[in-house]
Amino acid sequence: MTTTTEQPVRAPAPHTAAPADRARRTARRRRLAACGVLMTPFFLLLTAVFLIPVGTATYLSFFSDDQPGLGFGPERTVFVGLRSYAAVLTDPTFLGGLGTVALYCLIYIPLMVTGALVLALLLDSGVVRLRAWAQLGLFLPHAVPGIIAALIWLYLYTPGISPVIDLFARADITIDFLGVHTVLPSIVNIALWSNLGYNMVVFYAALQAVPREVIEAAVVDGAGPVRTALRVKTPLVRASIVMVAMFTLIWALQLFTEPMLLSQSSPMINSRFSPSMYIYDAAFTRNNYSLAAAASVVLLLFTIALSYGVTRFTSRNAAAEETR
Amino acid sequence: MPGRHPRRSVLAAMAAVPLTGALGACSEGADTPSRGTTRAGKATRITFWSALRGSQEVVDAFNRTHDRIQVDFQQIPSGGQGGYAKLSNAARAGNAPDVATIEYPQVPGFAIDGVALDITDLVDASLRRKLLPQAFDLTTFQGRTYSVPLDVEPMVMHYRTDLFERYRLDVPRTWEEFADLAAAVRRKARDRRLVLFPTDGATQFAAYSWQAGAQWFDIHDGAWNVSLADAPTRRVAGYWQDLIDRDDIFVNAVESRQSDAQIGNGLVLTRLSGAWDAGAQMNARPGQRNQWRIAPLPQWDPARPAVGTHGGSTFAVTKDSRHPEAAMEFIAWQVSHPDALRARLSSGTSSQYPAASDLVAVGRDAFDRSYYGGQDIYALFRQEAEKIRDGWVWGPRMTATGKVMQDSFARAGAGRGTLIDSVRAAEDGTMPDLKALGLSTSRHST
Repeated sequence: MTTTTEQPVRAPAPHTAAPADRARRTARRRRLAACGVLMTPFFLLLTAVFLIPVGTATYLSFFSDDQPGLGFGPERTVFVGLRSYAAVLTDPTFLGGLGTVALYCLIYIPLMVTGALVLALLLDSGVVRLRAWAQLGLFLPHAVPGIIAALIWLYLYTPGISPVIDLFARADITIDFLGVHTVLPSIVNIALWSNLGYNMVVFYAALQAVPREVIEAAVVDGAGPVRTALRVKTPLVRASIVMVAMFTLIWALQLFTEPMLLSQSSPMINSRFSPSMYIYDAAFTRNNYSLAAAASVVLLLFTIALSYGVTRFTSRNAAAEETR
Repeated sequence: MPGRHPRRSVLAAMAAVPLTGALGACSEGADTPSRGTTRAGKATRITFWSALRGSQEVVDAFNRTHDRIQVDFQQIPSGGQGGYAKLSNAARAGNAPDVATIEYPQVPGFAIDGVALDITDLVDASLRRKLLPQAFDLTTFQGRTYSVPLDVEPMVMHYRTDLFERYRLDVPRTWEEFADLAAAVRRKARDRRLVLFPTDGATQFAAYSWQAGAQWFDIHDGAWNVSLADAPTRRVAGYWQDLIDRDDIFVNAVESRQSDAQIGNGLVLTRLSGAWDAGAQMNARPGQRNQWRIAPLPQWDPARPAVGTHGGSTFAVTKDSRHPEAAMEFIAWQVSHPDALRARLSSGTSSQYPAASDLVAVGRDAFDRSYYGGQDIYALFRQEAEKIRDGWVWGPRMTATGKVMQDSFARAGAGRGTLIDSVRAAEDGTMPDLKALGLSTSRHST
């Protein structure tokens, strides 16, 4: 490609432009071309898997195949305004799903962030022997696809076939992982198992970037390992903590795979357990695409608002700390 | 229709992972495998989807005896297992089969979605005369018919006659006697119970309410009137709640290993279900031969007996059918010709109660009575079918309504909430759905 572009330029060149100037221009053009080549896949994917679906969902949420009155007879597509949104926002089952997910986030996110951070600090401090193996062992569950993970845990949670429940039963402890109160913690457990290792690696990488002289200075000043970890290292990886918290939040709001699979074994997980399950149910069992689309848009806005809130809150805190 | 398919796949992508067979099913299209093909040539070909057992035999019998019309049959999963999702998606893509099988509660939904064609003018008077009017009423809305009933299943009481004798119990005629009996059974046999309240049984609960005079859905003044928690339903819910609170009955899912064990080990003395269940029981537990008998469902007021139905299927012509007349001819043959019923029964024992009264004799002759100790169960079914209370209307989104109710039943079974709360939850969860569909609605529950 470069040769073909240079060829015609060179022919009339000798009198007009200085060689240095020409080289600079070619370099810039090349850089732009490289930029374009490297960015195109991103924008193509962004358009294909985000902008078009969001646009379609938004369109679907404002239109519906209608036959007014009782609904019998031929239908035509009409603009229905905010009708589907009103229906979603007054649906107790959808609001219940949002509540469930909020509770899930409250349990899951703090556990995940502190858990991953503690593990990363332990690995970084060099306390753990066989660091590579520990890292691999912790990271491996993340390589297991979510649906397989849910199946494995489903097996461990189901009474009658679970060796874990069996073991407890032998010690005369009856335990029901899928009961009214235990089902949410059980789902949190699956998510922790899958994602703890991944987030730990993120934190570990951030900790590796902490300048060694800072830590040495802390040690020289008399800080023990715990104090170094909490007062020196943790504040220095603050950006990673915010990022992990945000990704975890976004991921948690879309809770779907685990409850969907567990619902086959537990009547405590209903078909509209989380907003994502509500959307699936609205589209595929209720055949109510406008409602599903409206619920999707609501969930998207909810997610964006929460992520924005988290970013604003943390950056303001950071700014306040700096001025202090 | 252009623009339809992408819409569907985009939504599929939005709704995340295709988990159930429901989605996998929608990739299969119009080319249904033609298994029952015997003749080629000029015959009109129609497609038929069903989850009913014995459908292949029925189609084969039809194709053998008909030249002008040939049917391509495809066995699909039952409605709740993805069959209905498959039908909806096919209709969306414009390749629904000519004839589809729809259970009664789902008929209004498919009619509203425009999947089931208005076949009022295709159903001729002679076919209409042959079928039980109570059955036709369930598929007819404002005088327009959307599907043709195959069988109608009055709810009856299956009971363990051997255990009734052992504990010297009388067959209850009223719900009052039934409740006393439940207490007696628990007293006399600590690990046994009279009956199971199925937490996954919205259709059973509907049948109880129907019998008591409830009217969950109703059409008048051009609107869907919803009153799930009406007075008769509250009475039924209160009745069963008392039985649950006193620990006089089992409370768990009926579609479960637990329930299988309860029936298999003789822990539960009665089953309240549709007439079809007699044959299902026979196939599932041949070892319990001669232990079961069937009696009418207990009544609230024996002077004015009534029952609801539990189960039963209908056939609809879909909007994508290019040969509605041929489709209708096949349906008429299927529901009213003795050969059709014989073919269906040849695949195994069934005790379905045909909506066509003339076929009752065929079913009765084909049924092996020895399992029920020689009892003429069809005579009982006929007598009970007459008692089906008129005027019941299923709602526009019955699967979803039932699901919400069952989700809540399961919690009630675990001690959280009550049955009437569940019914109210089902109504609350149904209204937004109906509103989003653009239907006129009103509520009358108190």
